[in-house]
Amino acid sequence: MAVADATIRNVDRIIAARAKTRTIRALIYMVVLLLVVWSVKTTIVDDTDWERMGSVGNVLHGVVQFLGIDWGLVPNLWQPAVETIMVATLGTLLGVMMCVPAIWFGALNITPYPPITYPIARLMMTLSRSIHEIVWALFFVAAVGLGALAGVLAIAVRSIGFIAKMTAEAIEDLDPKPVEAIRAVGGSDFQVFVYAILPQILPVMIGVIIFEWEINIRRSSVLGLVGAGGLGLVFFRQLNTFNHPGVTTVILAILVLILFGEVVSYYVRKAII
Amino acid sequence: MSSTANTSARPQGDPPREWHRFRFPESLYRWGGVMLALLFLSYSFVYLNIPLDRFLGMFGRIGQVIADRYYPPDIEYVTEPDYLASVVDTIQMAYLGALFGMLMAIPLGWFGSYNMTPSRGFVYPVARLLTMAARAVHETIWAILFVTILGFGMLAGVLALTMFCTGFAGKLFAEEIEAIDMGPVEAIRATGASELNVMAYGVFPQVRVAFTGIGIYTWDVAFRAATVVGFFGAGGMGWYLKRNVLQIETERVAAILLSIIVLVLISEGVSAWARSRVARAK
Repeated sequence: MAVADATIRNVDRIIAARAKTRTIRALIYMVVLLLVVWSVKTTIVDDTDWERMGSVGNVLHGVVQFLGIDWGLVPNLWQPAVETIMVATLGTLLGVMMCVPAIWFGALNITPYPPITYPIARLMMTLSRSIHEIVWALFFVAAVGLGALAGVLAIAVRSIGFIAKMTAEAIEDLDPKPVEAIRAVGGSDFQVFVYAILPQILPVMIGVIIFEWEINIRRSSVLGLVGAGGLGLVFFRQLNTFNHPGVTTVILAILVLILFGEVVSYYVRKAII
Repeated sequence: MSSTANTSARPQGDPPREWHRFRFPESLYRWGGVMLALLFLSYSFVYLNIPLDRFLGMFGRIGQVIADRYYPPDIEYVTEPDYLASVVDTIQMAYLGALFGMLMAIPLGWFGSYNMTPSRGFVYPVARLLTMAARAVHETIWAILFVTILGFGMLAGVLALTMFCTGFAGKLFAEEIEAIDMGPVEAIRATGASELNVMAYGVFPQVRVAFTGIGIYTWDVAFRAATVVGFFGAGGMGWYLKRNVLQIETERVAAILLSIIVLVLISEGVSAWARSRVARAK
């Protein structure tokens, strides 16, 4: 009798808990749905100039004018495409150099003085990741003038956050045994770093750098919009001269460039790791 | 007298062979690759006309630019109601963009995962290509395209963010589905269930938590992108940024940048908290 009572009470409790989770879940769905309705109303319904957009036909007309490829533009795309790749590569490398202090300060087990240096490193990483590359490029164009240097700097600063964060985490997960082993045979600090720490973090770091390089190609292809050279500048010019097939051509060129980056990173990763 | 020991190993007088990680042809390829990379790098300095002499004095100059022009930030400007309304707009745009993007990314992730795709010959490559194209084109380019077609306003911004999030979440969803345990899938297939049922009862329960985490992360990334789509006329706080950049109101620009940083920090904190809650609820 007592056992049955206990079971029934248990079942009651489970049912009550389930009902509670169900209510909470229903509430969450309700909130999500209300937010959607509210957002759709303010952003799409109220803010759109429906008069100007006109009928579906007008919109379709707008889409159709982009269809087609301007073959005459293709020979002029080589130079900006190479520039884009170069800006991405140099930017990634400079970013790797700049993120050394952030890595050193940002790994909890090697940071010199945790209460001060660790927050500094976290702040550097967050700053780098939170500001969009377009904004960084604007800032560096203002500081060093138009041209590829501003793009390289923007890419470099934008890369710091991700590379430093992943590498610092890899350092925090270091296996201490090789370090002890090298110390035990009388290795100096430098030798400990070269033979015990570097081999452990290098694969992670190289993987992260290649991944970031791939993303940076995508980023450097738009920096021309704010005056930092490359394919973005060609895109901007084609758009402003209303050469819509040319715009499509540039976008396709960017796609090809990114495919190229993916292929290269696949082979480099296979060769190095 | 050592000749008896070494006759088979090497002729007299040769230096002892050193151990190398890579033997002759491979080591040549490796060094050649490194040399080519270095050559490419040094050539790119020439090709891009990067003034190396300006490089060294650059950091001092950047510091001076910040001190002269961007300090002190005009904090009053970012507390005006107009600007705060644009912040709310930005958050709404990011919310809708991430939501619509994920709704599109779920079928794309299903079709683009090698183990669950309905047809490996046709649907799989198409879904992969669509995801890649959505991801490869930068969000600012999407914004410009939609502004050109649909006119200024937040509709263009929402659509641009939708494309961006489709690509971003689609890839992660596909990877997540590829990593599932195929046991439950086979069990449900064995009962004669349809593909949709297999998806709903075999796959979805396994990826539900991961998808929620990815969804929150997508919203976080979308918010960062949403701060700049307005730069090209697609609504939100980017428009204020552009206006002040063009008017060289650098102190206001500094204040706007600070507000972006603070907002991103908040959204990152919220998303990290929500993701840890979701992971614990597993």
